[in-house]
Amino acid sequence: MAKEMIAMLLAGGQGSRLYALTKNLAKPAVPFGGKYRIIDFPLSNCVNSGIDTVGILTQYQPLVLNEYIGNGQPWDLDRLYGGVHVLPPYQKAQGSDWYKGTANAIYQNIPFIERYEPEYVIILSGDQICKQDYSEFLDFHKEKKAEFSVAVMEVPWEEAPRFGLMVTDDNDKITEFQEKPKEPKSNLASMGIYIFNWDVLKKYLEEDEADPNSENDFGNNIIPNMLQDGRDMYAYHFEGYWKDVGTIASLWEANMEVLDPEGSGLNIFDENWKIYSRNSGKPGHRIDAEATIEDSLITDGCRIHGLVKHSILFSGVTIESGAVVEDAVIMGGATICKGATVSHCIIAENVVVGPGAEVGVMPKRGKEGGVATIGANVKIGAGAIIGPDAMVENDVKEGTTL
Amino acid sequence: MISSNSDALGIIFTNTYDSTIPELTARRSMASLPFAARYRLIDFVLSGMVNGGIDNVSLMVRENYLSLLDHLGTGKEWDLSRKNGGLNIIPPFANRATSIYSGRVDAINNILNFLKGQKEKYVVISDSNVVSNVDFKDVIKFHIEKEADITIVYRKDKVLNVDTQSIMDNNENYFTIDLDGTRVTGMNINPEPKRAAQNASINIYVMDRQMLIDEVTKAYRNGFTHFERDIFANNIEDYNIQAYEYKGYEARIMSIKDYFDESMRLIDEKNLDELFGHAPMRTKVRDDAPTRYLKGCRVDNVMAADGCVIEGEVENSVLFRGVRVGKGAKVKNSILMQDTEVKPGAEVSYVITDKDVTIGANKQLAGTDSFPVFVAKGKTV
Repeated sequence: MAKEMIAMLLAGGQGSRLYALTKNLAKPAVPFGGKYRIIDFPLSNCVNSGIDTVGILTQYQPLVLNEYIGNGQPWDLDRLYGGVHVLPPYQKAQGSDWYKGTANAIYQNIPFIERYEPEYVIILSGDQICKQDYSEFLDFHKEKKAEFSVAVMEVPWEEAPRFGLMVTDDNDKITEFQEKPKEPKSNLASMGIYIFNWDVLKKYLEEDEADPNSENDFGNNIIPNMLQDGRDMYAYHFEGYWKDVGTIASLWEANMEVLDPEGSGLNIFDENWKIYSRNSGKPGHRIDAEATIEDSLITDGCRIHGLVKHSILFSGVTIESGAVVEDAVIMGGATICKGATVSHCIIAENVVVGPGAEVGVMPKRGKEGGVATIGANVKIGAGAIIGPDAMVENDVKEGTTL
Repeated sequence: MISSNSDALGIIFTNTYDSTIPELTARRSMASLPFAARYRLIDFVLSGMVNGGIDNVSLMVRENYLSLLDHLGTGKEWDLSRKNGGLNIIPPFANRATSIYSGRVDAINNILNFLKGQKEKYVVISDSNVVSNVDFKDVIKFHIEKEADITIVYRKDKVLNVDTQSIMDNNENYFTIDLDGTRVTGMNINPEPKRAAQNASINIYVMDRQMLIDEVTKAYRNGFTHFERDIFANNIEDYNIQAYEYKGYEARIMSIKDYFDESMRLIDEKNLDELFGHAPMRTKVRDDAPTRYLKGCRVDNVMAADGCVIEGEVENSVLFRGVRVGKGAKVKNSILMQDTEVKPGAEVSYVITDKDVTIGANKQLAGTDSFPVFVAKGKTV
């Protein structure tokens, strides 16, 4: 029985610009939004769009990700035929390869895709926060009788040179592709989400693999090659929320945008488009009589005694009395001890910020201080001071100033 | 046997003591009563059994079990969706007359063939109205070490004020035990309430499977209906009946006042840790987003689940999943079950709302400490 469309999710990225946060886990496994990981967004989008077969291409630090995905049950992707499959590179009779590039990762999994005889394959990225109905995207693809469609966002012209840009005609047909050009001819940025007719993609993957000079990359090789051959390629305008969370600043910003769904358009509270995640299994959270809390998200297992303002707390976070938390993202199991202050920062899982310590500084008007980041399991000693922009990967002794 | 498994199967009665809280069990069983912000009572004993290595659990459901079935699904949330054993739901059956069976003897007699076909040496029997984190593995170990025929789990407790008539009408009872060391020497069925601490059974028993089959067969043949009175109490001399003292956290629900008090008691962090700090308690996942506390909210001493949106004031209360408290609304000393909505400006105090209740804008509703107001499922005030 053939599947009309299956999804291939590129989750191999190391996420080197997230530094301490991705030391021991792949970028798609980075926690986000209080009880999710980044990969919950594309996976939930798949299920909500009616896609029940997803291949996840992993290669960097897959342990946490593998365990998290498990049999796919939290996303309703434990299926008899289809479901979610983690696809690491594997050894073959003749040699074995790491995934050399995004296109090569798909190429190496042609046998997986062929099992489902799909008409279309959607390529997704595991490092974006986006709520998108892929079935609407497919409707567009079919309506245009396209062989390739790419989801695009309009970006401000001054930012356009940072993106892969699609130049289109009046009918959304792509006439030219510019990868990070100095002089952009378009402000339609590729979101890295593609729909291909499978027979066409397969042909190009095989040709690309045969080319020894290719980087085996969608943006640099496959898409330009198809364009050169005059294939039917279209740009699909997406107007919802989309953010590449590949940097500390953008990851922090996207978390803050969760707090303002009305303003940002990133609404994780929509009952009709739920984001699913693996449950922590912790009891309800508790807000103490001495606590003050506003404009924040709190989830299971948290204990709040101090002040929490405009922040996101993941499961099992403890804020002791007298601690002050502002504009902060605090991941699962972290403890902010008595009298500590954490602001404008990302604190990873199981961090302990000692009594009276200070992490991050609220940016003053006109003087932008960056987001401070504390890596997983780090202990910040009592009274230590960690300034803005800091990236802390090791324990910090009592009283130290960084 | 791998030592992380137990050589025991579980039997849980889901409807015992329903009659003590008629308001809350009008449309559900005791087992599916929402408790502690995101759980149902069944979650505690079921998680406890799974944590104790028991992976073959039968639920004896009797009445109003639709909400329980919905909650349990295939049992996968408790890791009980298995090829061998797993969750086994035994629907009610009519006895000789047209009424549904009553009492444990009758119920277990109905599943004798099932019990005969199982492989586990021991059977652990429990109700679902006691919230605890009993270490079932330790209880079974105790049972084996004491070479017991029957082990009764008890806790030193004051005897509760129970409506004995209503539970006796259902061939149910509660009892305390007299002890010589760990050996049970006497049983007091439905005793008068006393202030002093008693050895109160929490109705968790361990027996040999074969012995359970034999005793129930015998009792049924003789027309006995009371499991504890007719099987345990009658055999105190002949059998080695042992008592295992449970010293951990306990919440026993046998009246709506108990339900209110025990819910409130869990807001205390120390109690929360005592109940949840040892082993994971599993429940049905609802995939709510985290709870949103908006600008201008005031929250003091509250336990809440995910999916709530809080704009008003909440004090000394328990909020289940998806509760909304509007701007200017005040919630005090209350328990608001799933998806209760308190509209802007409304005030509630000493109130228990069932699921999907709406308190209209600027409405006021107040009970008292000893008599909380209850609003039934789906109602609008």
